[in-house]
Amino acid sequence: MADSIEDRFAVETELLGLKLLPGQEANLRAAYAVLREAVALVGADYPFEAEPAHVFAPAPGAERRR
Amino acid sequence: MTASDPCFLSVAEAAALIAAKRLSPVELTQAYLTRIERFDGTLHAYVRVLPDEALATARAAEAEIATGRYRGPLHGIPIGLKDIYDTAGLATEGGSKLCLGRVPTADATTTRLLKQAGAILLGKLTTWEFAIGGTAFDTPFPPARNPWNTDRDPAGSSSGSGAAVAAGLCAMAMGSDTGGSIRWPAAWCGLTGLKPTYGRVSRAGIMPLSFSLDHAGSLAWTVEDAAIVLQAIAGHDPLDPASADRAVPDYRAALASPDLKGVRLGIPRAMFERDCPASGAMGAAFKAAVGVLRGLGAAIAEIELPALALYNATASLITRSEGFAIHEKTLRERPQDYGGLARDRLTIGAYVRASDMVQAMRRRLMLAAATDAAMAGFDAILLPTCPDPAPMLGELGPYFDNRRPMYMRPFNLTGQPALSLCNGFDDTGLPLSLQIVGRHFDEATVLRIGHAYERATPWRERRPPL
Repeated sequence: MADSIEDRFAVETELLGLKLLPGQEANLRAAYAVLREAVALVGADYPFEAEPAHVFAPAPGAERRR
Repeated sequence: MTASDPCFLSVAEAAALIAAKRLSPVELTQAYLTRIERFDGTLHAYVRVLPDEALATARAAEAEIATGRYRGPLHGIPIGLKDIYDTAGLATEGGSKLCLGRVPTADATTTRLLKQAGAILLGKLTTWEFAIGGTAFDTPFPPARNPWNTDRDPAGSSSGSGAAVAAGLCAMAMGSDTGGSIRWPAAWCGLTGLKPTYGRVSRAGIMPLSFSLDHAGSLAWTVEDAAIVLQAIAGHDPLDPASADRAVPDYRAALASPDLKGVRLGIPRAMFERDCPASGAMGAAFKAAVGVLRGLGAAIAEIELPALALYNATASLITRSEGFAIHEKTLRERPQDYGGLARDRLTIGAYVRASDMVQAMRRRLMLAAATDAAMAGFDAILLPTCPDPAPMLGELGPYFDNRRPMYMRPFNLTGQPALSLCNGFDDTGLPLSLQIVGRHFDEATVLRIGHAYERATPWRERRPPL
C-alpha cells in the first residue's frame, strides 16, 4: 500500500490505465491532493441505513415526478 | 450606446413596444447585429453570429405580429444561446476541438420553446470548454471578455452569455449552471442570473457536465426579464429524466407586489464572514442591500447553514465523477484534443472511487435536509453571490474554487432556485452581486424579492462603458 499522497497518486494512475500527457502529471497530482481532502471532508462514517441522494432525486417538498 | 438605442431596452420594454407596433423586430435585430459587428471583435462573446437567419426570423415575426398573431413577450426579441444548447442544423460545439463541425439534428427542448415563443436567435455564445474548461487560451475560440473592463474576466462557464447581455449584444441569453455558471457571470457582468429549481427547466439537448447538478436558465438585464424567460421554458419534459411534473405559476404576476411585507429572509452570515470572507466592497454592498430589503418591509434574521467547504467538497466529488464518466472515452482516446484546463478538471474525476461518490450522494441528501431545516420559517436565503468582483482575465487559478470558494455551489447541491442580481459597483466600476435563494419550486418568491430590490435601487441605470 502506498504511503504518501504522491505514491498513492502514482499507484492509482497506473491502476486506472491513464496515459497522461506531458506536463499533466504535476497538475493532476496537485488536484489529487485536493480531491483526497474533499473525500476526507465528506467522510465515510454514516449510519448504516443512510440513503444517498439519487441522481434524479426528488427535491424536498416535491410532490410527484414522472 | 445611447439611452435611445433599442439595444438598451430590457426584454419587457422591447416587448411592450413590439406589441404596440412601435418597435420593429427587424430594426431591433439589425441594431443588435450592428452592435455585435462593432464590439464583438473585442469581447468575443459570440462563436457564431447568424445575421441572415436572424433577419429572416425577424421579418417573419414582424409579419406575424402585423396580422395580429402576437405570441407574447419574447416574440421578436433577439437572443443568444450558450454553445452547449443544441440547435438543429446549426453547429453546437461546446467550445471544444472535439466537437468542431458537430451539427445536431434536433433543438434542445429550451431552444425549441424559445423559438415557439417567437425569440430570434442572433447566434451561439462562447462557453468554457464543455462548461468546465475555465478561461482558456488553448481552445478553438478565444475567451470572452468582461464589458465593464475588457481586461477583466466575465466568469464562466456561460462567459459569452454574460458578456453579450451586459454589452447589449442580445436582449437575453441562456446559460447553464452546475456550480454557479449562470449566477457567476451574471455577478461579474452586472446582470440577473436565474438558476431555477432542479427539474423546473429541461436540460434535454444541452451538453451535460454533471447529471445531478446541471441546471438550465437565463442571464438577463432585469429580474422581470428573467421571469419572462422562465415563463417560456419552465415545465415538464419527458426527454429529461430529472424534469419535474409541477404546475407552472404566472411569474410576472408575482412581481406585482410593491413591497416585501410578510416576506421572511434568512442570512447565513458565517458562510461569507467566517467560511470565506467576502471582500470589503462585496460585504458593504450586501449590508446596504439588507437595509433596502428591510426598508421594503422584509423581516430579516440570521440562520446557520452547514460549512461552505462541506457543500463544496460534496458537489466537487459529484461533478468530477459524473464529468469523467461523460468524457472517459474521449479523454482516453483523444486527450490531446481537449484544452489543458478541461482535460485536467475532467481527468481528475477518474480518481473518485465508487464509494467516494456514494458517500458524496449520502452527504448531499443530508446537506439538502439541513438547508431545508435551516430555512424553516423563512421564505428565502440572502447572501452575496461570490466573495470578489471580477479579476484580470487569466488570473483565475486552475482550481480557483479552493482559494476563494464561491457561495453558489451549495444550491446546485440542494437544487433550490437561486437568483443573482447586481447590487452595486466597486470603486473601479466593477459590478457586485447579491444572491437570493428560495424554496424548491418557489421561483416566484425569489423573483418577487429581486424585482422589489431592483426597483428600489439605481443599479439598472448604469451600462458598461464601451
